[in-house]
Amino acid sequence: MTELLPRVLALPETLAATPILAIGLTLSAFFIGNWLFRRLGRPLWLPPVVLAAVVLAATIALLGLDYARYQHSAQWLMLLLGPATVALGIPLYQQMHHVRALWRPIVCTLPVAATLASVYALVIAWALGATPDVLASLAPKSVTAPIAIGITEQLRGSVPLMMGGLLVTGVLATLFVDLLAGPLGIEDERILGFALGLNGHAIGTARAFDISHKAGAFASLGMGLTGVFTALMLPLIWA
Amino acid sequence: MLRGFLILVLFFLLGEALRLVFVLPISGGVLGMILITLTLMLQGRVSNELASASQGLISVLVLLIMPGVVGAFFTVSQFQGQWLAVAVALLLGTALSVLTTLFLMRALVRASERSRTDD
Repeated sequence: MTELLPRVLALPETLAATPILAIGLTLSAFFIGNWLFRRLGRPLWLPPVVLAAVVLAATIALLGLDYARYQHSAQWLMLLLGPATVALGIPLYQQMHHVRALWRPIVCTLPVAATLASVYALVIAWALGATPDVLASLAPKSVTAPIAIGITEQLRGSVPLMMGGLLVTGVLATLFVDLLAGPLGIEDERILGFALGLNGHAIGTARAFDISHKAGAFASLGMGLTGVFTALMLPLIWA
Repeated sequence: MLRGFLILVLFFLLGEALRLVFVLPISGGVLGMILITLTLMLQGRVSNELASASQGLISVLVLLIMPGVVGAFFTVSQFQGQWLAVAVALLLGTALSVLTTLFLMRALVRASERSRTDD
């Protein structure tokens, strides 16, 4: 009996050596997050992805795994993000007639909104005394992660810092779109989806697919265009 | 389903290849998404295999981004003494940019729909 206990205590450490623990934990947290969301009466300000992330972060801390190791193992899941991003092209194609009908508003909104998405945050952070490396890490905050990493490296920001800002932005953008849609009287799923993808990258896009296929297609478009536009524009204006 | 997944993986690899060869600042995933959309537009149809593979992946999108989202809880300490500036910038900046997008799109969509009915 006494020799069992040390082996049990060593389990997190031993199992963490294989990616399957991280995948199991992530999947469990995903379901617990969804369950909690329903139990709490679907609060708009607390989306399932945040609940799941809180559960997962607490579990990682309790098990004494550090985040770098968890993330290393969870790369097996994140690898699928590449093909999943490509997959966004299919709803985009299927909804192309809706996109064509709105091409003018989309083309006019995109450069203004995508530029302001980083300029607002930069001006506020600069006014409050943030240093240049922190500013460079905040600049691509509305861009999908794989593109944002490239931008941050080019601007000499810090990638871990940028990832933090990116994730908080994604969650906040989802919250603000959900909270502001009602008071502004916007029910058009095309507008809500586009705003979710443009401001909230993959996190906003995942939320848009909860609303509808149509909203998801517009979010994919917003996310893709913002990524391409910002990647080309930011390094140019960064003097 | 698997055949569809293969097509998605091939387009992703094609996107990555283009990014690496032409040193583009755009990720392989986004390039692949653009390429597959254009290909489907040229073809004029999408196979059931591809549609179901894409639907499957999109339905677990939240699961795939979770490992990254958790990182937000562990990177807070790296903002050192500047966390207040960063927090205000993220909160206020994101609120403003969401408002801007919603207002602009609403105004422009109304304008374009009005001009279409005038035609």
